[in-house]
Amino acid sequence: MLINAHDISVRMSDKTLIESISCDVVQGDYLCIVGPNGSGKSTFLKTLIAILPIHRGKLMIDGQPISQYRHKKLARLISYVPQSGGNHLTFTVDDYVRMARYSHHHVFSEWQAHDNEVVENALNITECQPFRYRKISTLSGGECQRVMIAAALAQDTPVLILDEPTAFLDPHHQVAVHQLIRELNQQHNKTIIEVTHDINHAAQHSKHVLALLDGKCLWHGPAEQFLDAERLQQLYQQAFVFAKHPHHDRLIAVADES
Amino acid sequence: MSIKRKLIALSLFTVLVVIISPWVDFAAAGSAEIQQMIIYELRIPRVLFAFTAGCGLALCGMVFQAMFRNPLATPFTLGVASGASLGAAISVYTGISFTILGLSATSLSAFAGALIAISFVYSISRFRFGFSGETLLLTGVAISFFFSSLILFIQYLSNVADSFQIIRWLMGSLTVVGYQELKQLLPFVTLTAVVIIYLSRELNLLMAGDEIATSRGVSVKYVRYALFFVTSLCVGAIVALCGPIGFVGMMVPHICRLIIGEDHRYLIPATLLFGGSFLVICDTLARLVIAPAELPVGVITTLLGGPFFLWLLMRYKSQH
Repeated sequence: MLINAHDISVRMSDKTLIESISCDVVQGDYLCIVGPNGSGKSTFLKTLIAILPIHRGKLMIDGQPISQYRHKKLARLISYVPQSGGNHLTFTVDDYVRMARYSHHHVFSEWQAHDNEVVENALNITECQPFRYRKISTLSGGECQRVMIAAALAQDTPVLILDEPTAFLDPHHQVAVHQLIRELNQQHNKTIIEVTHDINHAAQHSKHVLALLDGKCLWHGPAEQFLDAERLQQLYQQAFVFAKHPHHDRLIAVADES
Repeated sequence: MSIKRKLIALSLFTVLVVIISPWVDFAAAGSAEIQQMIIYELRIPRVLFAFTAGCGLALCGMVFQAMFRNPLATPFTLGVASGASLGAAISVYTGISFTILGLSATSLSAFAGALIAISFVYSISRFRFGFSGETLLLTGVAISFFFSSLILFIQYLSNVADSFQIIRWLMGSLTVVGYQELKQLLPFVTLTAVVIIYLSRELNLLMAGDEIATSRGVSVKYVRYALFFVTSLCVGAIVALCGPIGFVGMMVPHICRLIIGEDHRYLIPATLLFGGSFLVICDTLARLVIAPAELPVGVITTLLGGPFFLWLLMRYKSQH
């Protein structure tokens, strides 16, 4: 068991952000976290990288309580792609991705050939090579998002968590980023935890779905069982209609606007 | 021009400034002995002292700009220097004198004032509003005003001579005789520089935001504490010895960022070199403007800094 959250709650100045969530993630899993705005999805991600402390419950990472981890050690296990940000930076793509090797170095350690390999690989997989010497602030939204993923990959961790990685992207780039994430999961055996609003993506491409509502777990189960009219209605306060995908048998959900 | 070449050019510039400045406006009058004394006991120590103070001020400014991710955030705009000034003014007024580990009462109380001011700014901006630019700066302005009025209060209580001294001291001056002040200041600036160089990778990651820095493995809280502590120590020492010399910490690192970029591995040496030579130039100007009398160097830096601040504010506003 890689990540083992048992009955965890997070509070911030008297406000309960998430309440008694339990969730297990195994090596090679692909977990999508869905839920309306403010349901605690990002909060849950932030507890996993120790940005937010848990108030109650037990959170084990690789068999050890998260409170016993130093940030640097945790950063060798879990990397994080935030929802937005980074687009103001005047670092070059190359420098920024190299900086992500921080957790593998101490202050006097030399840059190794292995570091170069990891960085090259991260830039190749995310197709950032064409603009690797440009400043991040000059990139488009899609390019910037790829750089953020490249940096997380350069961190070279078994677990990759992403907070709405496709939120500001056009359909083409959304597909490209999702393909990239699937590839990382299937071919590179990375464990993926992704927050998303794209319920069809979650149902079709991930392995497990965790649905949060008001900081509590509404449903947790295999992705193919996720799409259900009643559950979506309860989750989003919105009616959905279903249709068969033209290319395969699975259902797709569309918000019913009538 | 590559960054390394820029750094080499800056080093040459710095060496030139430091070598030439003692000789500017040097009248070859009097006996050889007097001339030697002027150069070795007045001019050279003064240039070295100005250089060291400039390094420290610029470095502290650079750290604040990086930590708060705001070009307008410096120890001076955020009230840390006023806190240090208040501490120093109180020790001057009460006349207490003691030394702990070679630190004078003035240095220690200036350091305490700086630390108090920074904890104020930090806790208010952190826990109430998050690190948004406007609230941070407004908090700093409010704290500056508060401490300044306390300084006025102390001045009002003191006698005319003390009061005049406090005013002159508040203008910031680098007038020294011999190497005593330099010896006192150098350890602080060196310590600050060493800690900041040691933390340069963390500073780079902090530029990307606290969350990213944490996820990359930086213990953001401890890095901030360490940086706040050394910058308070350094600003406290500088304020205690030369008074609050404003705006060096804002102008120098910002200009260096424009030229060198944001990578602290290069930005730190550039800031040190330019900060030092900038203050030496300002001090030389202060000697020349109304020669044979001298202006306090703080007047020169503030005259340059005010318009620079406005320019930066316009730029910053139009970007956000």
